[in-house]
Amino acid sequence: MINYFRLWYRYFQVEVLSIPSRVIALIFFIVIGALPFFTQSPQVLRILILAGIYAIYAVSWDLLAGHTGQISLGHGLFFAVTGYIAALLNLHLGFGPWLTIPIGALCAVVVGLIVGIPALRLRGFYLALVTLAFPIILTGIIFIYPDFTGGELGLFGISRLSPSRLTDTYIVYVVMLFSVFIMYKLTDATSKFVRTGLVFQAIREDEISARKSGINTVKYKLLAYSVSAFFAGIAGGMYAHFLKIMGPSTLELTFSFQAVLWAIFGGMGTIYGAVVGVYTLFPFMEVLRFFPLGDEIRGVLFASVLIIILLFMPEGIGVWVRDKIEITCPRCKEINIARRKRCRICNAQLRLDDQSS
Amino acid sequence: MGTPLLRVEDVGKNFGGLSALSNITFDIGDDEMVGLIGPNGAGKSTLIRIITSVLKPTYGTVKFKSRDITGLPISDIVNMGIASTAQIVKPFRRLPVISNAMVSCLCPRIRRTGDWVKSVELRARDALEFCGIADLALESASVLSHGDLKRLELARAIATEPELLLLDEPFGGLNQAETTLIAKSLRRLHKGGRFGRLHSEGPSMLIVEHKLADLMKIVDRVIVIDLGRIIAVGTPEEIVRNREVVKAYIGKEEGQLVS
Ligand SMILES: Nc1ncnc2c1ncn2[C@@H]1O[C@H](COP(=O)(O)OP(=O)(O)O)[C@@H](O)[C@H]1O
Ligand SMILES: [Mg+2]
Repeated sequence: MINYFRLWYRYFQVEVLSIPSRVIALIFFIVIGALPFFTQSPQVLRILILAGIYAIYAVSWDLLAGHTGQISLGHGLFFAVTGYIAALLNLHLGFGPWLTIPIGALCAVVVGLIVGIPALRLRGFYLALVTLAFPIILTGIIFIYPDFTGGELGLFGISRLSPSRLTDTYIVYVVMLFSVFIMYKLTDATSKFVRTGLVFQAIREDEISARKSGINTVKYKLLAYSVSAFFAGIAGGMYAHFLKIMGPSTLELTFSFQAVLWAIFGGMGTIYGAVVGVYTLFPFMEVLRFFPLGDEIRGVLFASVLIIILLFMPEGIGVWVRDKIEITCPRCKEINIARRKRCRICNAQLRLDDQSS
Repeated sequence: MGTPLLRVEDVGKNFGGLSALSNITFDIGDDEMVGLIGPNGAGKSTLIRIITSVLKPTYGTVKFKSRDITGLPISDIVNMGIASTAQIVKPFRRLPVISNAMVSCLCPRIRRTGDWVKSVELRARDALEFCGIADLALESASVLSHGDLKRLELARAIATEPELLLLDEPFGGLNQAETTLIAKSLRRLHKGGRFGRLHSEGPSMLIVEHKLADLMKIVDRVIVIDLGRIIAVGTPEEIVRNREVVKAYIGKEEGQLVS
């Protein structure tokens, strides 16, 4: 038993404690999880909950676009489909969130496959344009049947996720941890057990080459669409049950662009980047709301900060920080703390211009 | 004689008004190394791209083991046992070299062979070893020289353990020593056997190459095309003496094809 524990700790030490960015991720998740112990102000909890939901949403975009190369500019579609289906199931059949959210997410998978089919033939800009169209179609359908879908005003009176905002926070927190972890594993090209990450990235790099390696890229692209739509759906379902209202605003272009923005701001194609993007930009935006500024000034302020940061950190803030604290050994490619001079594994010199050693 | 491994039957390809290939017919036997030569723009690459289904022929059929494979998905063709390298290398740039080769080991053809989950890395490494780039395994493919990328392209192809290997200018970007080495390796691969974890059934090959001296040493038969038509077929000895081939290559009747 003790031995087993020691083994586990050793694994933890190698896989997490010796890699700076993972230590930071660990601390970050602990801090987020512990925050409600210090303050339970509804505003703070609200930001935490929404950030958790948006983190799943942004990461699901990154899985599809950043890793598999299927740029989607209508990602809000999957979010909204689940939100609406969860709302309708809840309002008409009285299903609780534990049922409505998974069912809704599975419907999002079906929608994901429907969207994925044109994607099989299209690439780049053309694909992006087509994905742009799908939310518009759903918006149209919603406006055509306002009695059933709530039309422009949306659906009201959805039952809440859980009895209190505090439990809401923890439900979203746990779901977020699981979702992000699963998507991280599915996209990890170095994983020895799940090989999808490697195939996804191969498809992003060169689809024809992937096919010439004997990979059925159609299957994998549809898998990427399904997984991405599923998790975006989970986020959308929790969103509907948390806000207790589901309207067409999530189908607007701006909401789909939010996912792109968060992921690129943090660092595209990294998963953690999308999380970093959400947890920095979203609270920042919410905090700006407390100041008595006009919407326009707030927008200008926000855009300026965005431009300045991306100017200095073109690969995203997450990647920028990572490069500051970590260095990859030129010989064995193991990750080291940036201030080391020699690799912790193979003892190779980490920087060529370093004269001191 | 039984059915050939590959049969190209009256294949033609037009790009708009340009006829890149017309009435191409030839076989590749079960245990054969064939050279495909011709001046620039003759249609060699186009022919390879048609056999591997990257392009659809305007007319004609391609048969592999007497099965019509024209227009099948590329991945199906690879999984049936036809691997190819492209003239213009297309690696997975942002992935490490070893991962580039690992992708090939994830195809159903290799997975069928059993213990693949654990052996993917080892298999990929053996493919790199075979092509002489194992020392670059952990580097990103984006930092490789053109010659190394050519060899990576070859490693990715042989990692699928093909029965027919189509190589488009495999010696491009390599110096003379490296060329000789790869040429020898190809000959060894053709004989079959085990190369570490990699199993070779001794694939037949169709090799497009401009370095004629090196090519002629390893192939059994040469097909010459010019302006999209086959102008000569024969053993290397016959081809270097063929008037028409010499003319197509150097523009005049007199001269030496291989010095
Ligand atoms: N995708 C394409 N579109 C239009 N023309 C092409 C295309 N690919 C090749 N060609 C033309 O077909 C002819 C044969 O090209 P190619 O097969 O690359 O020749 P080779 O490999 O023998 O040098 C050339 O005239 C080339 O310009
Ligand atoms: Mg060519």
